[in-house]
Amino acid sequence: QDTSYEDGKRYILGGLEVTGLQSYNEQTVKTYTGLRIGQPITVPGDEISAVINKLWGLELFTDISFYITNIEGENVFLELNIIERPTLSNVTVYGVKKRKIEEILKDTDLKKGKKITESLIANSKNYIQNKYKKKGYLNAKVTIATTKDTTDANTQAMVINVKQGDKVKINDIVFEGNEQLSNKQLGKAMKKTKKRKFYRFWKKSKYIQEDYNNDLVSLVDKYAEKGFRDARIISDTFVKVSDDLIDLKIKVEEGNKYYFGEIDFVGNTVYSDRQLAQVLGVKKGDTYNGVLLRERIADDSKPDAQDLTNLYQNNGYLFSSINPVEISAENDTINFEIRIIEGKETFLDHVTVVGNDKTNDHVIFRELRTRPGQRYNKSDIIRSIRELGQLGFFDAEQIKPDIQNPDPNAGTVDIAYSLVEAGSSQIELQGGYGGGGFIGTLGLSFSNFSMKNLFNGEAYKPVPMGDGQTFALRLQASRTYRVYSLNFSEPWLGGKKPVRFNMSLSRTQQFYYNPYVSSKPDKSKQFSITGISAGLAKRVLWPDDYFTISHSLGYQLYNFKDYNLGLFNFGNGKSNSIAYTLGISRNALDGGRIYPRKGSNFELTAKFTPPFSLFNNIDYEQLNEDEEKAIEELDSDEIERIDQERFRWLEFYKVNFKGDWYTSLVGDLVLRSNAEFGFLGSYNEDVGKVPFERFYVGGDGMGAYTLDGRDVIALRGYENQSLTPYSTDPLSGGQVQDGGVVYNKYSLELRYPLTLKPSASIYGQVFLEAGNAFNNFQDFNPFELKRSAGVGLRIFMPAFGLLGIDFGYGFDQDYNPNSSGPSGWQTHFIIGQQF
Amino acid sequence: CSEYQKVLKNEDVKAKYDLAEKFYDAGDFKRANRLLEQIAPKYIGKPQGERVMYFLADSYFQTKDYNMAGYQFERFLKSYPKSDKAVEAGFYGAKSYYELSPKYSLDQTDTDKALIKLQNFINTYPDSEFLVEANIMARELTTKKERKSYEIAKQFNTIGEFDYTFLTPAVTAFDNFISDNPGSVYREDALFYKFDASTNLALNSFDYLKKDRLNDAKAAYLALKKSFPESKYLKEANKTLEKVEKELEIYSK
Repeated sequence: QDTSYEDGKRYILGGLEVTGLQSYNEQTVKTYTGLRIGQPITVPGDEISAVINKLWGLELFTDISFYITNIEGENVFLELNIIERPTLSNVTVYGVKKRKIEEILKDTDLKKGKKITESLIANSKNYIQNKYKKKGYLNAKVTIATTKDTTDANTQAMVINVKQGDKVKINDIVFEGNEQLSNKQLGKAMKKTKKRKFYRFWKKSKYIQEDYNNDLVSLVDKYAEKGFRDARIISDTFVKVSDDLIDLKIKVEEGNKYYFGEIDFVGNTVYSDRQLAQVLGVKKGDTYNGVLLRERIADDSKPDAQDLTNLYQNNGYLFSSINPVEISAENDTINFEIRIIEGKETFLDHVTVVGNDKTNDHVIFRELRTRPGQRYNKSDIIRSIRELGQLGFFDAEQIKPDIQNPDPNAGTVDIAYSLVEAGSSQIELQGGYGGGGFIGTLGLSFSNFSMKNLFNGEAYKPVPMGDGQTFALRLQASRTYRVYSLNFSEPWLGGKKPVRFNMSLSRTQQFYYNPYVSSKPDKSKQFSITGISAGLAKRVLWPDDYFTISHSLGYQLYNFKDYNLGLFNFGNGKSNSIAYTLGISRNALDGGRIYPRKGSNFELTAKFTPPFSLFNNIDYEQLNEDEEKAIEELDSDEIERIDQERFRWLEFYKVNFKGDWYTSLVGDLVLRSNAEFGFLGSYNEDVGKVPFERFYVGGDGMGAYTLDGRDVIALRGYENQSLTPYSTDPLSGGQVQDGGVVYNKYSLELRYPLTLKPSASIYGQVFLEAGNAFNNFQDFNPFELKRSAGVGLRIFMPAFGLLGIDFGYGFDQDYNPNSSGPSGWQTHFIIGQQF
Repeated sequence: CSEYQKVLKNEDVKAKYDLAEKFYDAGDFKRANRLLEQIAPKYIGKPQGERVMYFLADSYFQTKDYNMAGYQFERFLKSYPKSDKAVEAGFYGAKSYYELSPKYSLDQTDTDKALIKLQNFINTYPDSEFLVEANIMARELTTKKERKSYEIAKQFNTIGEFDYTFLTPAVTAFDNFISDNPGSVYREDALFYKFDASTNLALNSFDYLKKDRLNDAKAAYLALKKSFPESKYLKEANKTLEKVEKELEIYSK
C-alpha cells in the first residue's frame, strides 16, 4: 500500500474476517483487535495501524496484514491475514549430561509452546556458549537447528548440539619487562588467573576471559600502588601449548618510580588544610600510590569509608566534588593540587514515608532523625533506620531511604523512606492437662496497639493498631490456680515527649490441693499475690542521646490463708512490698531487634524499698534472739509469729547490671558478648535478707514460676536452677534452695543468620558461658565460675515469637547434692524469650 | 441442597450464567459473584463476554471487594473501550480505588492511584452524570493528602514545645505545606502555626540568631494577616506578636 494517511476515507466497518489462523480462535483475535462491526473506520488510518501495532506487540505472529475485500457504499469489509509464528514442540540436546540438560532448558526458558524467533535461537546459543566459556571451556561449540514437527499444527522441534571440548587451563604466565616487581608479586596481583600447580585446589587454573581482563587492570594497579604510575601493559599474548593448555605472555613497561610532592588543597572553606591532610593521610615524600590517592579521595568499594568525599558529603555538602590534579613534576616527585568544589550546603526539604499500611505517621515521624530544614547528614539517616528498626513494627532489613530531587542550586534534597510492615502481635491460646486438671491459657500481646480506637468498631482489622502502644493480656486458669495479668505501655506519653509510660496489674491465686486427700482443691486454704505497678521512662540527651532513665513504683500484697508456700515460715498472714526502681539504660543496637549486628546495650537497675526498720519500732535484735530460742525449742508457732512480724513490710535493695555488645565480624557473622551481675542486700543486718527477689541461676532461663519476684538467669549446659546454692533449713535440717543473693555471668556467642526474612528469621549460634550464684556476699568470688559451651538455633516468627533449642555442655559440677562430676550435655528449649 | 449449590458444583456454564444473572438482578451480589468468578474465563472473547465481565466487576464492587473491583473494571475498559458501560466502568473503577484509600495517617499510595483514576475519568467524560460525585471524591482525597502533610508539620510543632530541635523542621514543613498546597482548607491553620513555630524558634535561639529569626516570625505573622485578615487565630496571633516586637526592640539596638 502506498496510500498515505491523508487519503484515508471514512467508512463504516461492515465486516471483519480473520484468515491464516492455525492455533488461535478467530473470535478471540477479533475481540482482541477491539474493532466492532458498525463502527466508523478510516481506511487506511489510525485504527488499522493501532490494531497492527497491538498485534505485533504480542510477538506471536510473523506477518500481519489488512486487506479490503469489498466496499459497499459506506460499508467496508476487511480481511486480517495473520501468519503465526511456529511454536516449539520438543527440544533435544546432544553432548551434555542428562542432569545438565534440565538446567540449560530452565535457564534458557525453552519450553514447549514457546514462539520460535530468531532472537530466541541466537540468545539461547550465546547463553549456552558463554556458560561453558565461564567454566573454562574455551573451545565449546554450540549449534541450534529447528525442523518442522508434523505431529502438531505449526510447530517446530529444536536440536541443540553442544561440543564441550576440553577445559583450557593456563600452563604458565610469563611476565616480560618486569624489573622492580618479581614474577611472584605480579602473579599474586592476578587474583583469578593462575597458572597450573598440582597443589592448587581452591582457585582453579582455568582461563576465563572476563576474569583475565579484570586481572590485567589489577596488575597495573599493583604497579600504581608501588609508585610506578606510568606502568602499562604493552602486549599480552596467548600461546596455545596444546588443545587444553595455553601460556599467557604479558609484557609490561614499568616506567619510573615516583614520589608524592606538595599536596595543596584549593577551594576548601569548611575544613582547614590540616584537617583535610589528616583524612587524606598522604604525606610529601611517600611513594607515589595512585590507588591509595584515589581511595582516600573517594573509595567506591566501601560506602562508609573515611575518605574526603564522605567527609564532605556525609556532613552537609552533598553536592561537593573533589578532583586531584597533578600540577607539576620535578624529576620523580609529583606535586598535587586537590581541587574542591564544596557546593551549596545541603538541607533536607521534604521527608516522607511510604509503606506504613498500619502504623500511623506520628509514630514514625517522632523517631526520624532526618527532618525538613535540617542539614543533610548521612549519620542521621543511618540513625533513623536503626531507630525505625528498633520499633519492631517494620522489617528492619527492608528499611530503605531514598534520596530524591537533589537540587544543587537550592541546596536541597528530599528523603523518602520505604518501609514494610512486619506483624508484631502474638496470640496464645492453649488448653491442656497438668497439675491434676485442665489448664486454659489465653494470651494476647499487641505491640503496635491503638488504645484510642479500643471502642471504634471500624478499627478492628483484626485489632486496633498503629499507635505504637503495647497491650498484653494474659489469663490462665486451672482448678488449682488462676493468674491474670494486664500490661499497657505508651512510648510517647501525651505525644510531646519521648516518655514511656507503662502500667501493669496482676493477680495470682493458688488453692491448696492434695490429690491423696481429696480430688477437689480445698478453697479454704489459699494464697494470693496482687500487684500493681506504674512506671515512666524518659530518653535523655546526656551523657549521650542513647540513654534512657526510668522510674517505676510497684506494690505487691501477699496474702496467705492456711497455706504454707515455703517462702515464709508462716502460713497465715500478710506481707506487703512497696518498691521503687530506678533504671539507667543505654541502647545503641544496630540492625533490628531480632538480629542486632552492631552496637551495645546496657542496663543498670536499682530497686529499693523504704527503710521501714528505721521507724517501725520493731526490735529486730530481740526478734533474732527469740527466733534462735524458738528454733532450739522447735516451736514452729513462735517461728511463724516472728517471721510474720519480720516480713510484714519487706525491706531490701537490689542492684542488677546487664551489658551486651554486638560486633559484626565478617559478613553476617556477629559476635555477642554479654556480662551480667546482680546483688540483693539489706539495710539492716538484723532484719536479714528477704526470701524474695532472689537469683536462680542455671538452665534455659525461662521464668515459669515467678511469684516471689525472683530473677531466673539462664546458664546453658546446666539443669534449670542447678547453679543456685543450697542451704540448710534450721527447722528440718534438710537441704533447701532458697535462691542466691549475688550472681555474675559472662557469655560469648557467635551468631550466623540462615535467613532474615520477615516471615521467619533463623540463626544459628555457638556459645561459651560462665557464671555462678552465691548465698552471701562474703562467699562471692567473681572468678569462681561454672563454665559451659554449646551450639543452638533460634527461629523468630512474627506470630509465635522466638523459638529455640540449645545443646550445652557443662564443664563443672552443679550444686545439686546428688550430682557428681561435670554437668555434661543438656538440651534447652527456649520459647518467647530474647537472649 | 439448594439450586445455587447444585449449579455451583455443576459444569454447565450456561446454567451458571443464567443463575448468576438472576442473582445479580435480584441484588444477591455475593452469590452472583461466586458464579461469575467461575464462568468469566470461559466467556473471554465470546459475545456475552462483555456482559459477564461487567457483571463480575460490579459484583466485586457491590460486595465491597474494592481491590478486585478496581482491577476488574480496569480490565473491562481495556478489553471493551467502546462499551456502552464504559462510563460506568470508568467511574466505578475509580471509585473502587477511592474506597481503598486509607486514613490520612497511613501510606497514601492508594490515594494517589485513586486521584489519578478520578482525574482520568473527569478528563475523559467531562459531561457524564457522575462528574459531580467524581469531583467531590477527588476533592476529598486531595484534602486528605493535605491533612497528612499538615498533621506531620503540626506534630513537629507540638514536639517542638519541649524539644527545640523540632522547631526548624516545623517551620520548614509548614513552609513546604503552604507552597505545595495553595488552595488548601488548612492554609489558615498552617500560616498560624508557622508563625507559632517561628516565634518559638526565635525566642529560644542564641542571641546572635535572634534578630533574624524574630524578623522571620514577624514576616510569618504578616503573611497570615494578609491572607486571612479576619482569621480566627488573630487574637492569639496579636498577643504573640506583641512578645515578638518587644524582643525585637531589645535586639534591634
